Amino acid sequence: MSEYLRRGNSQPAWLFPFVVLVVLILSALPLARLAITGVAALMRGGAYALVTDPSLWQSTWYTLETAVIGTVISLVIGCLFAFLLGLTDLPGKGALSFLFVLPMMIPPQVTALAWVQMSGPSSPLLKALHIAPPLGSPQPLYSVGGIALLYGVQHAPLVYLALRAGLMALPRDGVEAARLSGAGGWRVFRDITLPLSLPGIMAGAAIAFVSSIGNFGIPAILGIPASIFTLSTLIFTKFSAFGPRTFGDVAVLSSIIAIISILGLAVQNRALRGRDYRLIGLSGATAAFVLGRWRLVVLPLLWGLIFIMLVAPFLALVAGALVPAYGVPLSLKTASLHAFDEILFHQSVTRVAFANSLFLASATAFGLLALTVLAAYVLTKRKDLASRLVAGLIEIPYSLPGIIIAVCFILVFATPLPLINVTLYGTIWIILLAYFSAYFSVSLKPVMSAFLQLDPALEEAARLSGAGFFRRLIDIIVPLIAPAAGASVILVFLIACNELTVSALLWSAGTQTLGVVIYNLDDGGSADLASAMSVLVVAMVVVLMLLLELIAHRLPKGVVPWRS
Amino acid sequence: MKMIATAAALLAASFAALPASAADLVLYTSQPNEDAQATVDGFMAANPSIKVDWVRDGTPKIIAKLQAEMEAGSPAADVLLIADTVTLERLKEAGKLMAYKSPEASHYDPALYDADGYYYSTKLITTGIVYNTAATMKPASWQDLAKPEAKGLVVMPSPLASGAALIHAQTLAGVPSLGWDFYKSLAANGAIAAGGNGQVLKSVASGEKAYGMIVDYMPIREKAKGAPLAFVFPKEGVSAVTEPVAILSSAKHADAAKAFVDYVLSEKGQAGFVKLGYIPARNGVAMPEGFPARETIKVLPLNAPAAVKNTDQDLKTFSSFFGAK
Repeated sequence: MSEYLRRGNSQPAWLFPFVVLVVLILSALPLARLAITGVAALMRGGAYALVTDPSLWQSTWYTLETAVIGTVISLVIGCLFAFLLGLTDLPGKGALSFLFVLPMMIPPQVTALAWVQMSGPSSPLLKALHIAPPLGSPQPLYSVGGIALLYGVQHAPLVYLALRAGLMALPRDGVEAARLSGAGGWRVFRDITLPLSLPGIMAGAAIAFVSSIGNFGIPAILGIPASIFTLSTLIFTKFSAFGPRTFGDVAVLSSIIAIISILGLAVQNRALRGRDYRLIGLSGATAAFVLGRWRLVVLPLLWGLIFIMLVAPFLALVAGALVPAYGVPLSLKTASLHAFDEILFHQSVTRVAFANSLFLASATAFGLLALTVLAAYVLTKRKDLASRLVAGLIEIPYSLPGIIIAVCFILVFATPLPLINVTLYGTIWIILLAYFSAYFSVSLKPVMSAFLQLDPALEEAARLSGAGFFRRLIDIIVPLIAPAAGASVILVFLIACNELTVSALLWSAGTQTLGVVIYNLDDGGSADLASAMSVLVVAMVVVLMLLLELIAHRLPKGVVPWRS
Repeated sequence: MKMIATAAALLAASFAALPASAADLVLYTSQPNEDAQATVDGFMAANPSIKVDWVRDGTPKIIAKLQAEMEAGSPAADVLLIADTVTLERLKEAGKLMAYKSPEASHYDPALYDADGYYYSTKLITTGIVYNTAATMKPASWQDLAKPEAKGLVVMPSPLASGAALIHAQTLAGVPSLGWDFYKSLAANGAIAAGGNGQVLKSVASGEKAYGMIVDYMPIREKAKGAPLAFVFPKEGVSAVTEPVAILSSAKHADAAKAFVDYVLSEKGQAGFVKLGYIPARNGVAMPEGFPARETIKVLPLNAPAAVKNTDQDLKTFSSFFGAK
């Protein structure tokens, strides 16, 4: 590949420095500031005590354990759905796809709450089936297994979307050639489809693993009651007991998480090294496998999974919003709309949170897309040390718990910016910047894997015909990576709309986000208000997704991820 | 082209939906959300020209937020309404509070407010025992929670998430018949300490745990709505926090902050708290529904200066029993 690249010829000179500058501001500067603060705090004493604290290594082990198991579960579920819905002739694919992506919309702490309500001793579902455990039984989800299971459920749609973006790009040619040579369905899948979808699978696994490591909402709800701390909840707990040693402790914990994430990235790179995934052909043409009698097995399996993952917890959530007080059994007589009334007409924070989250999510999604297309272009063309460093720097913020990002940005941006003399802290813009930093790699992954599949021949032909950089970008590259770009925008929007950890420390009066409001309501004992708010959030997301569905026929094929 | 236009329109619409945040007063509080909203609504009704933005979190967390902001040099809050006076005493010693002599102070017992006017108590919130009505053993004293019948069935709020929980631990530690050994025996009996009072309420109401330590107004309120709960003021006595209000020395809206302090101490403000189910701090105001007569509640004493000094040590001691590090 390097013999094709003559430095400074195919890319404009400003491109790489621009990307480097952006990454410096979003990743390097805040992290460096935290590192300096942490080292300074540690030098004042306490480093030895922290490193020999067994709880530190215990939580590191729990973090890895839950992340690995959770990634495996989400890979199994996500790949199952992606392959079945993307490559076969199942009926009702649109509905299945739509519903499968939905759990990702629900904030993780709400997912945890809903599952806890579904499975506890007072679960209406279990009571109706007369298998409710007696008073005082331990909640089975308050365990390593429970956390891993919910990681799997929460992140399966991430794997699904990442893999689907890759599957959309598979051309029909290879499959048809194999068929013409006499290969059966399973052989075609094993030899042609599976190897070519490996970048998508690896991308999905990487996102799922990194999301599990940095997840806060689920271990906060499920782990803390059982004294199971992962690194992210440990950091939050330490920060809650703010003291002189806090920044030092938090810096050490963050570096452990950063190391784990870099190792995970190295594993992913290793798995993809030495293989060529470039394809020629228009993306969007999918090969269909005919299921025949297998349909009778597969269809109930998929709908069953959807029921367990989505419908049952959502019903538990609605039940939680309709009870007049927590613990009162739900019946037609006791059902009350008080929680919805309070949320919609009294709590001033509701409207504020919806406006903030929508604004932040869409601004982040579209802003990041512009940046990641440029960054992916540069990173796939250059293979030198500098670009690998940049790629690593982009990766790190997402793998760190949002708490760390928040702390970094507080340290860097709390004082007024030089020259302009404007303070970003306490405004919505610091949250926006923190989101840019945290979700850069989420936005980058699908776009990168699409870029990896681009053959340079098309672009070079355009260059030879005299097209400038932006012309090539708009006419050749963007249409070819459109499904990945669309997936990237939607992924970032989904995650940013209901995130909690980054905004948990950066929010201030007037800049609350949906995740923060729901967590605070539950934390303050208003479980019914939290459930009502969650129901509204899910409703909003369903409406947004339906809107997308309506304009989907005007969009290029594959942009709306759940449509074939 | 239409898609870009639609997307741009969506973006612009959400931009326009941004609230114009020109707050005239910023309040940091640890009251539950509905109560904080009701308090703010009452204040804004009495002072229509002042717009209030409020932020709610558990006391330790909201103080952490405040400290992080102070460390970065731009605190946003004007007035605090948080769980306990010990926390405010620490802030006062660090010089972070503004003194204000409120005219309403004459209606209060002098023990309930700082002599120089740095903070004023607004309520009396006691911590007692809540239990699920399906439980077989009905507890009447703190020691009942360490009995074998309560093994693995007790939950309490963590001092890392609740200011009241910390004060409670420090108070019981000072009672001769209880002390830190009581907490050790609770931990040995399988009790867990996690989250705030809201978590304890949910845990006991849902039946995951049968017994809990909790602030008084929560279970009394929920019981009135039909939850399967009962609240007990234990025999040995209860600890109390007084949810004080204070103005920060870095406040940008000092006049509005003073008006807020006057409001929560006034008759109207106190009546608002009674309606929400809190015991009022002001002299001569009737108790809320569901509470026994004020004289029958035995409030245990707390050595406040010692509490300020020993907070870090006490937190470590508590964490060593309950595994939260």
